Amino acid sequence: MKQQRKAALPRYGEYNCALKYIVEQGFEAQCVLPPPLSKRTLDLGAVNSPDLVCTPFKTLLGSMIEALENGADTIIMVPGACRLNYFAELQEQILRDLGYTFDFINLSLYNTGKMRDILRALKALNPRCSMVKAGKAFYEASQMVEHLDDTTSLYYRNCGFDPTGTYPKIYKKFIADMYAARSLAEIRTAYRTANDAFTDIPLKKPQDPIRIGIIGDYYTVMDPFSNLELEQKLADMGVEVHRLMNITNDMLRNSEKNKQVKIREFSEYSMGASSTADIWQAQNFAERGFDGLIQVKSACCMPETDIMPVLANLSQDYKIPVLYLTYDSQTSDVGLMTRLEAFYDMVEMRKKVAR
Amino acid sequence: MTERKIPAIGIPRAMLYYRYGALWDHFLQTLGVSCILSPPGSRGILETGTRLAPDESCLSLKMFIGHVETLIGRCDRIFIPRYSNFGYTELFCTRYEALYDQARNIFRSTGQRFITCNIDAQNSSPEAKAFEQFGAELGFTARESRKAWREASNALEQRKKAEERAQKELADRPGLKVLIAGHSYILSDPYLGKPILDYLGAAGAIALRADALDPETARKACARFSPTCRWVVSEEIVGGVQLWKDRADGIILVSAFPCGPDSMTNELLIRRTRGIPVLPLVLDTQSGMAGVETRIESFLDIIRFQKGEMV
Repeated sequence: MKQQRKAALPRYGEYNCALKYIVEQGFEAQCVLPPPLSKRTLDLGAVNSPDLVCTPFKTLLGSMIEALENGADTIIMVPGACRLNYFAELQEQILRDLGYTFDFINLSLYNTGKMRDILRALKALNPRCSMVKAGKAFYEASQMVEHLDDTTSLYYRNCGFDPTGTYPKIYKKFIADMYAARSLAEIRTAYRTANDAFTDIPLKKPQDPIRIGIIGDYYTVMDPFSNLELEQKLADMGVEVHRLMNITNDMLRNSEKNKQVKIREFSEYSMGASSTADIWQAQNFAERGFDGLIQVKSACCMPETDIMPVLANLSQDYKIPVLYLTYDSQTSDVGLMTRLEAFYDMVEMRKKVAR
Repeated sequence: MTERKIPAIGIPRAMLYYRYGALWDHFLQTLGVSCILSPPGSRGILETGTRLAPDESCLSLKMFIGHVETLIGRCDRIFIPRYSNFGYTELFCTRYEALYDQARNIFRSTGQRFITCNIDAQNSSPEAKAFEQFGAELGFTARESRKAWREASNALEQRKKAEERAQKELADRPGLKVLIAGHSYILSDPYLGKPILDYLGAAGAIALRADALDPETARKACARFSPTCRWVVSEEIVGGVQLWKDRADGIILVSAFPCGPDSMTNELLIRRTRGIPVLPLVLDTQSGMAGVETRIESFLDIIRFQKGEMV
């Protein structure tokens, strides 16, 4: 009998807790967590990737290498709507050329729109897995993702106004609990504990705080390492940070068609991948009277570049300032901080004048 | 028969025009719509496009936006089709999906009207239906549009076959042969790709094009080589390379900075192709020809050296 697999998925924000949950609870395989993303990860990825591919490709490749170094024998890679769908095949080739020996489960191969192929994908991970168990794990992991996203957005909305400084501690504990959870009950308990702890802290929030909405590409905007902890930096300046772009809003509770109808003035048809969601979110923030918008994208991201003219028009129509941030493998903290401070000052001044 | 008012349609000579232009021209001509084609690509057009398009977008998009600009105010509506997909696994680069809406947004202040043909089989608008809809927008009946589309599709197919035949003859000729793989809107563009082909000709090499092949055959070859490649256009290029490479002495992969699909398919081609020299060539807005010429020249020298023609 083949030994239990040691499967790994590359790092993707904090969503690895849910991915780990599915692999361990649903497929009875062992899940190896790659180390947290670091400069080394990105360097490893960038050195071995083609130059003109987007940054998430490089980060994910680096994370795969680190997972293999940590003892994983199987790498799983997800499909997607843009270039992401092709990531897996090229990454496997690069890793093989580097001389690693491993099983590679390329879920893009099974992404054909047919139910039969989805079932084949599940069997690829564990031929003797139980569909009931897998289904249950997927459901529970989706609950985990919802709780994670809810807590994360609550955290970034409020942590800039916490006088006690305990917000980060609670959040860290919550994330650790998510990684450790083995049942739905544990997930829910951790979620409630964190939320109760957050509500117990009296916030010092002004009546009308500066509110900034963040939109961006699927990977960079959701992964704090990739966007150089943009949300935390803004929160530390005393900003209420809102980000609607997360797995919950974009996959679990999404209606792409409705969004397309609402933004038809700007974009009649989908402009590919995350574009519809992004434009809709930008419009939503603008309509709610936000003070600023930040677009986060990785260098060479195709859909995000395409929506820039749309955002420019939206900014004109709604009189909302937009900061366009492009991240590549060389982006440094300092440059980002300067731009953020300048943006913050401008937004703050506009707000004072408006009052 | 009642007189119908037929609007003049402007067509930008860029991007998918070089691929589906024969189809669009034929379709509109059959229906009797008057068309204006933008002038051939030039440095001036590219500079205009670079000024108007987002900084980080690809060279081809900048060229395209430049072409659209030349048509502003010169026609009733500018035709920008939206090619999204022919089915779940037959996709197009997201840039073609976004073209129509992007141009609408870039040129919003000019008041120019645009018209599209939305080919999106996943959302129940396959090619035949899309052209029917497009015809209806121009004031033609479904029957007229269907007939025109069928004729136009045949014309496109015939043209593709003629290209393949011509290339087969070319491949049978003696001499040094180089296979050029790249998007047709780069290779056929008089400003971007033509200088490369001209230079090869002047240097005494025969240039074969990877995309001169029946699309279905090419896509099947690509599925064997790279099963998860789902971009129709890239599949034809990759498949074409597989099927033509035995007839050539070297491969030049021509790509536009920073082309999304090419950045990955070309890397895979380089990694999986053995026994034949490969030169990746990336064109950008800086392109003076000198740098490109030097690289092609030394590439040809390498091939000649390998063949023992140079001592």
